[in-house]
Amino acid sequence: MARRQDRSRTDEYGTAPYGSDPYGSAPHGAVPPAAPAIELRGVCRSYGRGETAVRALRGIDLALARGSFTAVMGPSGSGKSTFLQCAAGLDRPDAGQVRLGGEDITALSENRLTKLRRSRIGFVFQAFNLLPSLTVEQNVLLPQRLAGERQDRSRARQLLERVGLGEHASRRPGQLSGGQQQRVAIARALITRPDVVFADEPTGALDTRTAHEVLDLLRQAVDSLGATVVMVTHDPVAASFADRALFLAGGALVDELPYPSPQAVADRMVALTARPVGAAA
Amino acid sequence: MTNGLARSSVRFRPASFAGTLVALVLAAAVVVACGALLQTGLTASLKAERYAAAPVVVAADQSVKIRMKVGEDTETIEQATPERVRADAALVGRLAALPGVAAARPDTAFPLPATDRAPALTGRGFAALGIAGPGDTLVEGRAPGANEVVLDADTAHSAHLAPGASLTLAAPGGTASYRVSGLAAAQQAGPTAWFADATADRISGHPGRIDAIAVQPREGVSTAALAAQVRQAVGGAAETFTGDDRGTVEHPALGDARQMLMALGGTFGGYATMTAIFVVMSTVALATGQRAREFALLRAIGATPRQIRRTIAAEAMLVAPLAAALGILPGLALARWWFGQLVERGAVPAGLRLDVGPLPMLAAVLACTLAALTAGLLAARRPSRMRAAQALGEAAAEPPRPGRARTVLGLVFVAGGIAAAVVATSLDGAKAAQTALGVVMCFMLAVALLGPRLARAAAVVLGTPLRAGGAPGSLAADNTRANARRLASAITPIVLVTAFCGTLLVLQSTVRHTSGENVRAGVTADHVVGATGPGLPAGTAERAAGVRGVDTAVGVLRTGVVFKNAGRLASAPVLGVDGDPARLPKVLDLGVRSGSLADLGRAPDTIALSTTMADAFGAKVGDRVPLWLGDGTAVRPAVVAVYQRGLGVGQALLPRAAVAEHVTAGYDSQVLVADAPGADRAAVAAGLGKLAEASVTDRAGFVAQSDKDLEISGWANTVMAGVLGGFAAVSAANTLVMTVLDRRREVALLRLAGTTRGQVRGMMRWEALLVAVTGLAVGAAIAGITLVPVARGVADSTPYVPPTLALPLVAGAVLLCLAATGLPVRALLRTRPAALGTARQ
Repeated sequence: MARRQDRSRTDEYGTAPYGSDPYGSAPHGAVPPAAPAIELRGVCRSYGRGETAVRALRGIDLALARGSFTAVMGPSGSGKSTFLQCAAGLDRPDAGQVRLGGEDITALSENRLTKLRRSRIGFVFQAFNLLPSLTVEQNVLLPQRLAGERQDRSRARQLLERVGLGEHASRRPGQLSGGQQQRVAIARALITRPDVVFADEPTGALDTRTAHEVLDLLRQAVDSLGATVVMVTHDPVAASFADRALFLAGGALVDELPYPSPQAVADRMVALTARPVGAAA
Repeated sequence: MTNGLARSSVRFRPASFAGTLVALVLAAAVVVACGALLQTGLTASLKAERYAAAPVVVAADQSVKIRMKVGEDTETIEQATPERVRADAALVGRLAALPGVAAARPDTAFPLPATDRAPALTGRGFAALGIAGPGDTLVEGRAPGANEVVLDADTAHSAHLAPGASLTLAAPGGTASYRVSGLAAAQQAGPTAWFADATADRISGHPGRIDAIAVQPREGVSTAALAAQVRQAVGGAAETFTGDDRGTVEHPALGDARQMLMALGGTFGGYATMTAIFVVMSTVALATGQRAREFALLRAIGATPRQIRRTIAAEAMLVAPLAAALGILPGLALARWWFGQLVERGAVPAGLRLDVGPLPMLAAVLACTLAALTAGLLAARRPSRMRAAQALGEAAAEPPRPGRARTVLGLVFVAGGIAAAVVATSLDGAKAAQTALGVVMCFMLAVALLGPRLARAAAVVLGTPLRAGGAPGSLAADNTRANARRLASAITPIVLVTAFCGTLLVLQSTVRHTSGENVRAGVTADHVVGATGPGLPAGTAERAAGVRGVDTAVGVLRTGVVFKNAGRLASAPVLGVDGDPARLPKVLDLGVRSGSLADLGRAPDTIALSTTMADAFGAKVGDRVPLWLGDGTAVRPAVVAVYQRGLGVGQALLPRAAVAEHVTAGYDSQVLVADAPGADRAAVAAGLGKLAEASVTDRAGFVAQSDKDLEISGWANTVMAGVLGGFAAVSAANTLVMTVLDRRREVALLRLAGTTRGQVRGMMRWEALLVAVTGLAVGAAIAGITLVPVARGVADSTPYVPPTLALPLVAGAVLLCLAATGLPVRALLRTRPAALGTARQ
């Protein structure tokens, strides 16, 4: 059931002319009622054992619609990274379920999980996104290469043009600026038409202007390519690019803001940081 | 099929594979060298010269063979005999009667020392004339009768001896005067004297036994047919040789040389290959660890563990063939040099050629590829098994702690090493020495596995004094504690150098030291009469005893015996002594533990054993011990005494009469002389000097004659230590440079935070010293644990560490660490810190 759903979606992607939006224009807030792109149910995760155990996630329930752009905010130690890792299949929750496109991924073997990441999830990390030994184009095509699939070079070209790096395809990452490298990472994250793109502080290492360019690209991926983006950040300005901001504190979702403005996000963050962590539980 | 990632990364950053390449090149060189020696040992043959005209040669098997039950199978174990094995002279008649045989000539050679009238000659029976071909005949005069001799024409002319002249010749069986009855064609083998067959048989020193029989076929009989007839007639009494195999009969040393080459190439080659795999593994592991972030990224974006493993293994594999190719030439050069030295030292007969076939090179390529593959797969285990999230987390910091399996395996190897060392305690010398490298290897594996724990312990222990050393010292202490894994990879090769070089060199110096001590304490003679030629003429000891002022003169015949030891055959140098055994203590003080040397020779089948040999046999005074004399004759003499000072003197004493007929040349090599009380030492020496063809020295002269085998194995140990040590040193330098260059960001950060260049250098220097000290300490501990039992087995003493060995080794290791750290640090400091900070790893 889940597979079929998935395939039909892929077909939609495949037949859709490039740049058009298969879901119809998705302005902020127009969330389709169909199965969510990703769904978390009662996800818990602790590290360590006994007295020193850290409960990083204390039961997260969440559903993110297809074609949405969500920012996950929270002070340091709020469980942002653990949330991202569990949602993206990089880590396993101790309890609860993570469903990607309707499929429960918590029960998958490490190998199945790896293959699922390869084809249905895209990643943009804060830094070190690219293999230094490969060219920009090879980096973009890396997920397909790892899957042993035919490498769709024309799609890679199109994506690179879209992120404004069409003429840099044969360069090495070392010859690009930090912002350019992040844009290559976005192109790579989109190459397999994933269910969800996870971005972990994608602008953390960039200056304001470059950060804006990168966030614009993520926004465009949602708006014009119909991608679903989940971005973990602590930057209120970055969060303002999303449709919705979720706030994590002490391992639990404590708040959310639709169409967040930088000011509103910053205010919530201040309030969260001031609140003792224990109270969040 | 790989996905091409490996190729991209090797092509993109060849420099990061330089370390692996260097290690592999060295590995290939050592494997090629050892392989060439091994192959030479397997295939070496010398062309028949003297027997070129005799298509079939019969001679005894030059080895002792026994069949032993090893588990289910019976295995044949053999050991080349120390002396020439001879065949029964009665075989000649049996062969001559065969239908296909035209002539069966007995051949026996015995050396005749030079006299004032003639040069050194080879004595033969007259029946041997003709072996070299139709031209090998009398050219003048007639065949020798009793007390007559035929000389080869060249020698006769140059010595101005014509038929009718007479000369005195000393043979093993006695000295006598002979009249020249005729001249024969000049000999390729050099100056020769032919005696009447009966005379030759008597004076050869081994009546009734001959070296070989050269068989000539009748017209129309093929070599194969002849060999078949001969083989059937001979049965198990001797071996039949044809073609190039005849060369082994001419050169009995060939068997020994081949065995030695095989042992050298095989045993040492095996250990060297293991070391190579070891070094390559640690280098690859380090290089892989340094790229943990790359692999973490790959894992996150969907590379399966299998793909990561394949990529890392493929990277190593890509480098391997190139490295092997680069290692071939240096390897051949090493083999040539080594072989040349062996020839020069007389361990390999001159004329033997190094066999350089494609096999050693193929082996090098295979070994390198296998080493690289193993190394790659092992190094890939961690990054491939990591969960992707862990991977991202771990990429930045050190992995938390070594896995439990690793620790357990490491402890198993420690236990194995100790167990092997304990077992070695109960073994005799040769076997113990062989286990030494195995014990070292066991401990080395343990060090590799437990390295991080060891490094952390070292950092804690040495960190406290370091903190007193100001900012650089305390920084170094913190760095080493936090980066135990990095520290471990630098320490391991230093441990390797110290343990290998230490074990091999100290083993050798212990043997040398102990034999020196034994000779100094054991030889109490006032004079040593030595030979200038092949040996002292028969009767020298008696004549020496007759010199004025001489109390005791004991002739010493050096030979060897073969004995069964811990499931294999071994040979040991022994002495045949003549004269009154009761007087033996006057010239030899061997530290008798039980029994009495005076009983030696009371009966012909008696023997005195060194403690080492007695331990090997598990024998005490009164027991009979089974052994083989030099020419492979099995005997069971009774033990009359057990003495302590065997090494350097001789592992056993036998009555001369028991061994004289069982040696290649039956001459005493030395006569040990004790002065009568009150005799004038100089006068006695002068009196002894008048004995013909002898040199007289004081007791130090005995040392010069010490065991040649031991000398060659000692030299081989030194070369091995050099090769393995050099190998490990290069890899140590390699590793240190790699770890320092990987700290680009850290250095930049320190510089930006206001650390001066001097402080950075100071910090690195302290770290280098910590590496050196830890490596030396652990290496020395390993060498110690290994050596104590081995030294006990071989030399019956504690290991002897000469300061001239220890100091350069320590200084070398420290300098190596300082240089391999200091130079890359200097390179790092030359760049501006800001530029360093943005540098990508």
